[in-house]
Amino acid sequence: MSNALETAHLSKRFGRTWALQDCTLNLPAGRVAALVGPNGAGKTTLLHLSVGILEPTAGSVHILGYSPLKQPTETLPRLGFVAQDHPLYKDFTVADLLTLGGKLNPRWDDQLARARLQKLGIPLDRRAGKLSGGQQAQVALVLALAKRPELLLLDEPLASLDPLARREFLRTLLDATVETGLTVLLSSHIIGDLERVCDYLIILSASQVQLVGDIQEIGQTHKRLIGPRQNVDALAHVHTVIEQSQTQRQTTVLVRTNGPVFDPSWEVQGVSLEDIVLAYLARPAGEQLASSSSAHQGMEVVQ
Amino acid sequence: MIWLTWRQNRIEGFVILGALVLSSIFLLLTGLSMTQDFQHSGLSACLARHPGPNVLGGICGPLVTAFSNQYSLLILFAVVLMLLLSLFGVMVGAPLVAREFEQRTTQLVWLQSITRTRWLSVKVALVLLTGLLVGGALLGELFWWYRPFSQLLSPLNPVAFDFAGPVLVASTVMAFGLGLFAGTLTRRTVFAIFLTLALLLAIRLPVEFGLRPNYEPPVTITWPLAQVGKLPATVGSQDWILGAGFIDAHGNKTSGLNCNVAREETPQQCLQASGYRANYLSYQPGDRFWTFQWIESSIYAGIAVLALVATFWLVRRRRV
Repeated sequence: MSNALETAHLSKRFGRTWALQDCTLNLPAGRVAALVGPNGAGKTTLLHLSVGILEPTAGSVHILGYSPLKQPTETLPRLGFVAQDHPLYKDFTVADLLTLGGKLNPRWDDQLARARLQKLGIPLDRRAGKLSGGQQAQVALVLALAKRPELLLLDEPLASLDPLARREFLRTLLDATVETGLTVLLSSHIIGDLERVCDYLIILSASQVQLVGDIQEIGQTHKRLIGPRQNVDALAHVHTVIEQSQTQRQTTVLVRTNGPVFDPSWEVQGVSLEDIVLAYLARPAGEQLASSSSAHQGMEVVQ
Repeated sequence: MIWLTWRQNRIEGFVILGALVLSSIFLLLTGLSMTQDFQHSGLSACLARHPGPNVLGGICGPLVTAFSNQYSLLILFAVVLMLLLSLFGVMVGAPLVAREFEQRTTQLVWLQSITRTRWLSVKVALVLLTGLLVGGALLGELFWWYRPFSQLLSPLNPVAFDFAGPVLVASTVMAFGLGLFAGTLTRRTVFAIFLTLALLLAIRLPVEFGLRPNYEPPVTITWPLAQVGKLPATVGSQDWILGAGFIDAHGNKTSGLNCNVAREETPQQCLQASGYRANYLSYQPGDRFWTFQWIESSIYAGIAVLALVATFWLVRRRRV
């Protein structure tokens, strides 16, 4: 399976702060991936590096096999991008924006754009600035989809939307992925809404990759173990301890398992995806897993 | 991309077209009236019969005064037009990229299927083309309009030089280029406009007052002290006089006099007694007008090219 997005040791520094450090990850084609992390984790930086509007300080990034900086004529037509807060020309009518898309993109699908907007009930003669936030987000998404991209990246597309607009936005997105088999990477600081849409997860925290992999696989390998108060060192030899908490009588551990847990003193429970994400995000910055090994594991799961 | 450039800048387009039409009507009406008066008052014929350096003090003096009284204010209009063109260059150039940064639409338009270089090239090319057409048309009109004055004043005089030749177009293009560069650099339209206006002053003042009088070495003529106050006939009304005065005992030019005239002396005797040797006058001959225009146009165009190259470099490298 080929990768829609590949980064190797990708790093970006602004002044003296690292926005992204040594990020190595692969996003296989056809996946709908969630890029999750707290604010300031480097999500936007990773997306901007991927589409080529930022230049990496170190490392490399490839989109569908091309370098976005060195081969923009190859990557740009294959790429859809909806930036944070979905900027549009506010004084353009929706029809103007469609004309813009048609004039600047060789693979533009005007019928698709018009059909989607009609379905959403967005009038073509309305100026973009007069549309509601949700409608503006929808227009931005339609503009990106009508380019007929192979890879669609969305930066916090849901952040400024109310719950109803979120659901509609995700429905439009889901329709498109089902119809075209497009690869999607969308960033968010919450996972809740994305669970229904995404089948791949990238967790970014403190400018480093914490976890990459298939969501189902992640759900199966991560367990919560509850047992009498005890030392977890023995457990940590076999499995990867993500989070642990102790009470007077009881120890609770969230682990990524490397096979079955044999010790009968542990009661093994499943964990929700949200809890897994939160556990990874709660890990202190210095304690993360070697990011490349976690990325590899994620790849093995898929391949 | 052509469509997009038009869609984004059509208001500016309409404004400049309107300004061109209005200025053309104004120039045509006042120009016709000036040309007619110049002929009918007999000034044209008088100047043809009595060529000389000092049109105001000569035989045609009263006619010149009458003509100047009536029309010299109009030159202000040409000056304002010239300043407006530069201002317009800045107003179009500064927001061209800066506005995209401000509204963050770089993140929309830079991710369509065309490269940033192409995006900027088309924008700049279209604006420049429009500017050259409008500037060229105005230049032609002003050139025609200014003809009556050109017989009264040197074409090199600091006021007319700015609008009666290609310098008009070159300085407008420079204003646009610097505005574009400042906007791309600062990513703030308003700040860029003020920065560019300051830059323009910092460039134009030294050029006009420092460089322009010396594009070619000025011609200096000297004549005997006895004929003080009389200009030699070799200097014409078309020449741009830079300085006049006396040659002192050491051979230096000086404009001030240091001579206490005693009761029994004439001023000339005093001058001679103090060691002054001759009168002098230095000037730029009027026939250097086109040379000077091209030199100054090249300076402004060169700055414009540098600014554009820097802008392209910034846009290729700049993060969003």
